[in-house]
Amino acid sequence: MNYEQLEQLAQEELERQKAFKRRMFCCTSTACLSAGAGETHESLTQAITACKSEENEVELIRTGCMGLCSRGPLVRIEENGEDPLLYGDVSTEITHQIVGKHVPLEDVDEDNLEDDEELSSQDILQLRESLRKAKKKKELKDHIIQLDGPFFSKQVKIVLDTTGRIDPEKLEDYLAHGGYKALSKVLNEMSPEDVCNEILKSGLRGRGGAGFPTGMKWNFVRQEDAQQKYVIVNGDEGDPGAYMDRTVMEDDPHRVLEGMIICAYAVGASYGYLYIRGEYPIAIDRIRKAIRSARRRGILGNSVMGSEFSFNADVRIGAGAFVCGEETALIHSVEGKRGMPRMRPPYPSTSGLWGKPTVINNVETMANVPAIVKNGGGWFADIGTDESKGTKVFALAGQLKNTGLIEVPMGITLREIVYEIGDGCPGEHDFKAAQTGGPSGGCIPAEYLETPIDYENLNKLGSIMGSGGLVIIDDSTQMPDFARFFMDFCMDESCGKCLPCRVGTVQIRKLLDKVIAGNGELQDLEALENLCELVKKTSLCGLGQSAPNPVISTLKYFKHEYDRLIQDQVPTD
Amino acid sequence: MIEIIIDGKKIQAQPGMTVLEAALENGIDIPHLCYHPELSISGGCRLCIVKVNDGLNPIASCGLACQDGMTIQTRDEELTALRRDIIDLFISDHPLDCVTCDKSGSCLLQKYAYEFGISETSYDLEISKELFQDDNPIFIRDHQYCILCGRCVRVCDEITGVHAIDFANRGFESSIATPFDGPMIDSSCVFCGNCVQVCPTAALMPAARMNRGREWELDRVNTICAYCGVGCEIEYALKDGEILYAQSTPEATVNGEFLCAKGRYGWDYVNNPDRLVSPLIRKDLAHELGMTDEGWEIPEDSPLSIRKPKIGDNYVPVDWDTAIEVVADRLADTVKKHGPDSIMGLASARCTNEENYLYQKFMRAAIGTNNIDHCARL
Repeated sequence: MNYEQLEQLAQEELERQKAFKRRMFCCTSTACLSAGAGETHESLTQAITACKSEENEVELIRTGCMGLCSRGPLVRIEENGEDPLLYGDVSTEITHQIVGKHVPLEDVDEDNLEDDEELSSQDILQLRESLRKAKKKKELKDHIIQLDGPFFSKQVKIVLDTTGRIDPEKLEDYLAHGGYKALSKVLNEMSPEDVCNEILKSGLRGRGGAGFPTGMKWNFVRQEDAQQKYVIVNGDEGDPGAYMDRTVMEDDPHRVLEGMIICAYAVGASYGYLYIRGEYPIAIDRIRKAIRSARRRGILGNSVMGSEFSFNADVRIGAGAFVCGEETALIHSVEGKRGMPRMRPPYPSTSGLWGKPTVINNVETMANVPAIVKNGGGWFADIGTDESKGTKVFALAGQLKNTGLIEVPMGITLREIVYEIGDGCPGEHDFKAAQTGGPSGGCIPAEYLETPIDYENLNKLGSIMGSGGLVIIDDSTQMPDFARFFMDFCMDESCGKCLPCRVGTVQIRKLLDKVIAGNGELQDLEALENLCELVKKTSLCGLGQSAPNPVISTLKYFKHEYDRLIQDQVPTD
Repeated sequence: MIEIIIDGKKIQAQPGMTVLEAALENGIDIPHLCYHPELSISGGCRLCIVKVNDGLNPIASCGLACQDGMTIQTRDEELTALRRDIIDLFISDHPLDCVTCDKSGSCLLQKYAYEFGISETSYDLEISKELFQDDNPIFIRDHQYCILCGRCVRVCDEITGVHAIDFANRGFESSIATPFDGPMIDSSCVFCGNCVQVCPTAALMPAARMNRGREWELDRVNTICAYCGVGCEIEYALKDGEILYAQSTPEATVNGEFLCAKGRYGWDYVNNPDRLVSPLIRKDLAHELGMTDEGWEIPEDSPLSIRKPKIGDNYVPVDWDTAIEVVADRLADTVKKHGPDSIMGLASARCTNEENYLYQKFMRAAIGTNNIDHCARL
């Protein structure tokens, strides 16, 4: 299909959507699913069926993450002419109340009901009875989430723009929300060089953690003289508690795909792989569906949108190794080899997949691309700080009242995230530290709450931006314990290739065990510091180089907790 | 040519050369364990770290390509401290039983521990794997000594080309294994023993060598392999005149450090009592020539004199001159009686190209026939 035909599809979809008086969005992202969203959705479907209302009264859509995962399952209702409403903790007990409140119960002859496809007339009768009762129940106040509260108002959504508002399995819905317009602009109006320069101008940096300027990376590959080039999207998100990439892939797969195709056009690649970790079955499924529907509509294939540009994509599934998020290990894994990193240079931009120039970008990086192309690099560069532009998606977790997925502009302070978006720590406890960047990151203590979050500032504090895990720790947690948890993770996930990471992490863990058990001596702390330094300095890849970060940063900011363990010789728990 | 400076010394390097290669070529030793000149780069041991252009972060020199104008620092206080710590970590996962270890004296880890003056680990000794495998009669695998340098994996894949072994599991649990950890004999292993040759520690050892003596007690004999025309150089390690193992040295012009299964393990014929050590002629022919049954006496100083060959009843051992004379006479006789085409020559693949050339020349020019063929043609 060429662009005009796709535009036609978008218009038709928009009109179809507008025909409904109200649209009900039920989040079925992994977080909400684990909170019971599957049952919620089923219950909503049955209740709506039982209402027997006109066809255009309501449309129920299975959608993606809405952000406030701690209140899941979430249901959002958009009624014509009214402000949208968001309900939290929608268990099956209150679905009837919601349907009763929003969907009119049509008067039908209840004595002569016919069986529905899934529901018998008896079931329908019972449901209608329950809906009538639900209507009389007290208001749903406890379940209504303020959409103008700080959790939402502090956020700026670029990557997660349409997440939670569209049906991720429907290409038309993405088109109706302006999808693939950027790709059309690129194909019709821009040269590959223009695209790279626009990305360079935007100041977009790799969202996988290292923060390398994306435009520069693309330019390197574009300038390579090679018959075959590749694009790889890195969806091997392994940090414990982080699920930014999963959400984007699950809930807005076409955005990732669009970014990827634009990238391929910019660098001259004709084939690409989306590398997704095997633990994300829904993401794999949805990306595959997205590829299929894009191929059917001529967005992927030998003539992308009727142009002369040809691009195909496929999915590769990771087998559960954290280290495969490292680009050279990932390339080995795509090639079908054991996922072990190799030394760089040569960088993948000169010799990547099967020795060909390859762009590897994180899912979130790719998802930023369509918006940058559509609105211009300058627009993107206006958001954020001098060095770090745009927004960053964080998986806000830990001891906070509001946890979930947030997208905030670069330069926002930690205080705003913790106390406004996160609404502070629950119960009697106080904020103690924030851990950014997953197991490779460090802990930031309360005195740095005012620090604007960007790549440089986090590095200065001994932590990293990482892929976007953000764990908030309150004063009920002992920092040596916390550091040991992440050390355990890195120890398990070390690939075993280089000595410092393979053996060093085990010895760090042993020293931590000794100190935490109350058997430590002063020289053990020295040995610990020394060993952390060795592992950081001499490991082969990013995993090993950053593995000691949790220990180093807790030793730096919370030395007194270690000292107390040494002096009192008492175990923490 | 590009010019780099290593430890203040100006060095000419070929483009594409790594810093480690350039340094070793110019007599500057950078400690290294996983690097092997014949194999691809791993970069896993981290011992060859150097500082580049006064940068703070050490970089492994084995994978670092030389660039014009580079300044390399291979040794300073910090690098030595880091290397010490690395060796320290290595031996926290490696038994320090050098006093009884067969590899002692040729073990690279021992060499570096000695060089850095480390006699024991400052960490808790924790051996990651204690598996001992002797599932084949050729070599043993003692995993507690394995430092996972990956040389064996690379030599098997890149030189021998069979990829019988690879890394299994991950992190501290990593080990070198056959597919599904099955016996070596069920893998694609061809028992060339090149992995044993490149192993820097006692993790892979020739089975015949175990408990037979220390490295420095062994005599070394260099020879050329007789199994085929390639002419690989072999170094036999002997104790009391008996071969313990065969290996090759990097100096070997034809084969470098590598051998095939026959060259490396096919030497049990050497001490076999059935081995022929001199030419034999038939008894009746010997009597015709006026010889007694006693035959030729092997000189005292010959290495063959240590054993008397066992000879069948119908043969008499003779010296080479006699044997050649007999053959020449009989050939000349046959040509005279029946013509040159009554003789056919079959050459052997175990001879060199030159020997085979001479043989066909001999058949055509001396005998006068074109009846010449070669066993490898079949």
